[in-house]
Amino acid sequence: MDDRESILGLDNIRLELPIAGVGSRTLAGCLDYLILGVILIAWTFGAMLFLFAMEGSSWAIVVFIAGFFVLEWGYFAISEIVGGGRTLGKKAVKLRVITAEGGSPSAGTLLARNLVRSLDLVFGIPLMAIDPLARRLGDRLAGTLVVHERTMVAAPVIGRVPPGWGPRELAAVESFLARAHGLEDSGRTYEMADRILERLLRDAPDLLEGIDLRANPVQAIRRALQVEEG
Amino acid sequence: MDYARFVRLRRPLWEKFEAQLAAARSGMTHAELEEMALCYRQVLHDHALSAARFPGTAVAQRLRGLAIEGTRALVVGRTEGSGGLVAFFTRTFPRAFRRQLPLTGVALALFLLATLWGLAITSQRPALGIAFLGPGAVAGLEEGTMWTDSLVSAVPPALSSSMIATNNISVALTAWSGGILAGLVPLYVVLLNGLLLGSILGVTMHYSMAGELLEFISAHGPLEISLILVAAGAGLGIGRAVVIAGDRPRSLAVREASRDALTVLLGCVPWFVVLALVEVLISPSPDLPASFKLAVGLSLEALFLALAALPSRSLDTPT
Repeated sequence: MDDRESILGLDNIRLELPIAGVGSRTLAGCLDYLILGVILIAWTFGAMLFLFAMEGSSWAIVVFIAGFFVLEWGYFAISEIVGGGRTLGKKAVKLRVITAEGGSPSAGTLLARNLVRSLDLVFGIPLMAIDPLARRLGDRLAGTLVVHERTMVAAPVIGRVPPGWGPRELAAVESFLARAHGLEDSGRTYEMADRILERLLRDAPDLLEGIDLRANPVQAIRRALQVEEG
Repeated sequence: MDYARFVRLRRPLWEKFEAQLAAARSGMTHAELEEMALCYRQVLHDHALSAARFPGTAVAQRLRGLAIEGTRALVVGRTEGSGGLVAFFTRTFPRAFRRQLPLTGVALALFLLATLWGLAITSQRPALGIAFLGPGAVAGLEEGTMWTDSLVSAVPPALSSSMIATNNISVALTAWSGGILAGLVPLYVVLLNGLLLGSILGVTMHYSMAGELLEFISAHGPLEISLILVAAGAGLGIGRAVVIAGDRPRSLAVREASRDALTVLLGCVPWFVVLALVEVLISPSPDLPASFKLAVGLSLEALFLALAALPSRSLDTPT
């Protein structure tokens, strides 16, 4: 399970954010520093070739040093501003920067959180490890959080609820149905499905009328509870 | 409400909101945005209901995802000083600069104190100067040459001015960002630079070359010191919010302080570029008279202060 910390959104409604922990953030950071290193080497190499071709023109030197400086201080901020809160490393690890309210951060916010990066190389990792919201200095300064990005997939939803079933039963059956295809051991899958059918027979036998229970118990549950995807 | 009925009644709304979220990525009209905001509110309340009544179900998870996605799409962080570069330098920057002025004053006072201290100890014990300037520079001073002569003449001006500009910006950025460590780093930067300036003055006075030093720094020095102090003052502002948050949550206080501090810092950056050119082209030039260099230095400083601290009357009315 991931860390979940909640913030209060509009109308004081609690939003549980999938906060990214120190591990995934350090991984994304390492990837980004790797990319930045490659870019800086390429920039230096390109500049040397260019300088050689221009026979040491002074403008070329200015462009080279200014570019190096901007890359060094600005790679993270620029790529987060362009990528909507995601650097290349964060894209790879599926992370995103959001504000403490859960919204999209402004360019100034992203710039501020990345200006203290040199300090965070020292203090960032222990701070992220002890904070429940995994904020490093830059996050505290700019008021940002880093969360896991989830792609929403259609999941089975029960359309007919047997009497006496609460959220616990609904959640268990729905998550079983969502994973039934992926379970490797079909024997165990059927065993679990049979236990759900037994419970259904006890609680609501009328739902199972006219359904062949022996052919495919998973399909039988789906039909009895009128399960839809979505 | 029963689970199945809840899903049956509300699902069309969730699907509509999902479609709006997808459409929002490619831009939308004002009317569409308003409708989306309306849907968002309803989805958010459905999320609250499902999280309380049907926790763990597929619908509760879907609604949680929709609420988070919707919040990210619709709640956009406030951008201070939007409205172009001109508005930034004529309105946003001066306003933030004036709010930070007391802290810049503190930085200036500490800097002067450190300068005087450095001056005092090196004029008492010139030997300490070797520790600051290095034995090579002091040996040069004994022969009557300034180390600054070789500082810039050995390399092409383009190279040295870029190096100086990036180095100065780095110092300013460090002073600024170190504010988050309770203001300790800006304090260090201010005191160290003051001490260095004071002791260099002391050493050059000992070798009767203070005139040359003052001539060298007169063109770029005033503004360079001002910019470092302004950046350090902004860092102190962040540090103050860390230490004394007042009656607000500390995280909020730090965020608010950082907004002004960032504005002030960004307003200083272009001046560093101007400074680098002056420091390479005007400061070391032996052909230019000292009075001209001093005039350049004072007018640069006056221009910066005029743009930053003397805003037009319309600024006093908050927008």
